[in-house]
Amino acid sequence: MRPILSIASTTVGEAIRRRVLLIILLIGVLFLAVAPGLGVLSARSETTVLRGMMLGIIQLTSAVIAIVLTVYMLPNEIERRTIYTILSKPVQRWQFLVGKYLGAVSALAIMMCLMSVVMVLMYWYQQHAPISEIANLLKAPMMYFVQMSLLAAVAVMFSTFVSPLVNFFLSGGLYLVGSLFNPFFETLSSNNNTPAFTKTVAKFINLVLPNFANYNVQNPIINPQQTIGNETQYFINVTVYGVLYILGLLVVGILIFDRREV
Amino acid sequence: MAAAIQTTKLTKSYNSRSGKVNVVDHLDLHVEEGEIFGFLGPNGAGKTTTIKMLLGIIYPSFGEGYVLGKEIGDMDVHRLISYVPERPYYYEHMTGLELLKFYGSLFGINDPALFERLLEKVNLHRDKDKTISQYSKGMQQRIGLAQSLLNDPKLLFLDEPTGGLDPIAHREIRDLILSFRDEGRTVFISSHELSEVELICNRVAIINKGVIARQGKLTDLLRGGRIEVTVDGFESAEAFLKALPLKDTNVRTLPSGFLLDMPELEDTSSVIDSIRGAKGKILSIVPRKKRLEDLFVETVSSKQPSKTITVEESAGANQ
Repeated sequence: MRPILSIASTTVGEAIRRRVLLIILLIGVLFLAVAPGLGVLSARSETTVLRGMMLGIIQLTSAVIAIVLTVYMLPNEIERRTIYTILSKPVQRWQFLVGKYLGAVSALAIMMCLMSVVMVLMYWYQQHAPISEIANLLKAPMMYFVQMSLLAAVAVMFSTFVSPLVNFFLSGGLYLVGSLFNPFFETLSSNNNTPAFTKTVAKFINLVLPNFANYNVQNPIINPQQTIGNETQYFINVTVYGVLYILGLLVVGILIFDRREV
Repeated sequence: MAAAIQTTKLTKSYNSRSGKVNVVDHLDLHVEEGEIFGFLGPNGAGKTTTIKMLLGIIYPSFGEGYVLGKEIGDMDVHRLISYVPERPYYYEHMTGLELLKFYGSLFGINDPALFERLLEKVNLHRDKDKTISQYSKGMQQRIGLAQSLLNDPKLLFLDEPTGGLDPIAHREIRDLILSFRDEGRTVFISSHELSEVELICNRVAIINKGVIARQGKLTDLLRGGRIEVTVDGFESAEAFLKALPLKDTNVRTLPSGFLLDMPELEDTSSVIDSIRGAKGKILSIVPRKKRLEDLFVETVSSKQPSKTITVEESAGANQ
């Protein structure tokens, strides 16, 4: 366990110093800071627009950070030969990969926390909202964190066998498809009128494709008229789903990385 | 003496467009415990690939290898070995001390006194709080050597340890490597710096196109130098030649005397006795040593290295 934690903490140290990540984070924070001013441009309720905009900024910024952070992680270690010194010590390849992943997720958590703090401060400043409303608003970034951890696991898995550029588009593409089209495949696979073959294909895609849409819980938060039935149960279920999926992706990544020539 | 490294027909192949290419081809390597072993070869000869296989970082396609008596890839061996890669890169945001703490933690070592001792050994104790990005090349190489000593290794793999360093840093690294041998460690050096290798290595292997072309004790491999003897007191070169106990020897006539150019392995004493017996006057005896560079060029220039020449003649000829 110790090598994993050491590698993870080193990865955090590196990640929070990477300029490109800091620039993305800064842009996200700046947008959050000016978001209250942009709310007036919309014809809809200012509060609704502000919530939607702030959560959207956090989600988009976190997704870009998660991908940029993870696609270069392994290739950089190989290119700079730091991996050789580490693997020549009593460190197994799976420990290295898990350490890198945990480090990336921890760095992501730090950055998302920072954005959430800025969001809360700006929202409170603009709306003078009660604590309960702010706590409700924070449910979305928490779910986004699970979503981004899943996205990071996808990118880490791909990074064991594809180049960073290909990985960027693969992971990004999978995130978009998993976020936007998963409900579509779900409907197709459960609809009785769907032809058998299409139904099977939709079921397969639905099974294999990580369901990023699970974590897009912003709608009930933005529009309080919409509700999730049993919210706590739902959050537990999708978190467990995410953790299991992450474990599966890491196992696949480890199996590939274990056989890979570095 | 026990073998620190022993490989038998160790091979690494890659598929290329033109078919299977053996980057390392049936490598039989023998490194004894407690020696400094030089692993030489031109760029692309297979040196780093061999080291990576011995470290278990890449997998052999064929053959077998043992490091400290255990099969390569055995995780137990990793507690007893260390590696400093060519042009090492360390996490630049760390200080020298943090770097040692990080690598120490991979062994479960958290011993501040040890870190201080190692920093002192590589003469970086005053710079321990500087970040790696502030270190010069020589300092980075030295911190690399410090991290390689964290686990008190029995065997160190150093890939081009003096590459790109200035003469002072060269000397510092050389002294450190010699101190490793004095501490009873085995050092496996892959290098291009032939003069450096000649100074510190007991035995060497020259790899060319993936094949070990020469392997043995440096003293044995560098035999075959020449000795030049300048003499006077003979009427002619023929008279001088007649007095010698050698056949097919080169004698040149000089303005004042004659120059005998003979192989180092010939019995020098009997030649000297013969010259004296014939009333000749020896003006000078100059040994012309074979250099490692000569051997290296001679070895890698040969078109097809097809078989290994192992020279292990004089058992007690360690440097």
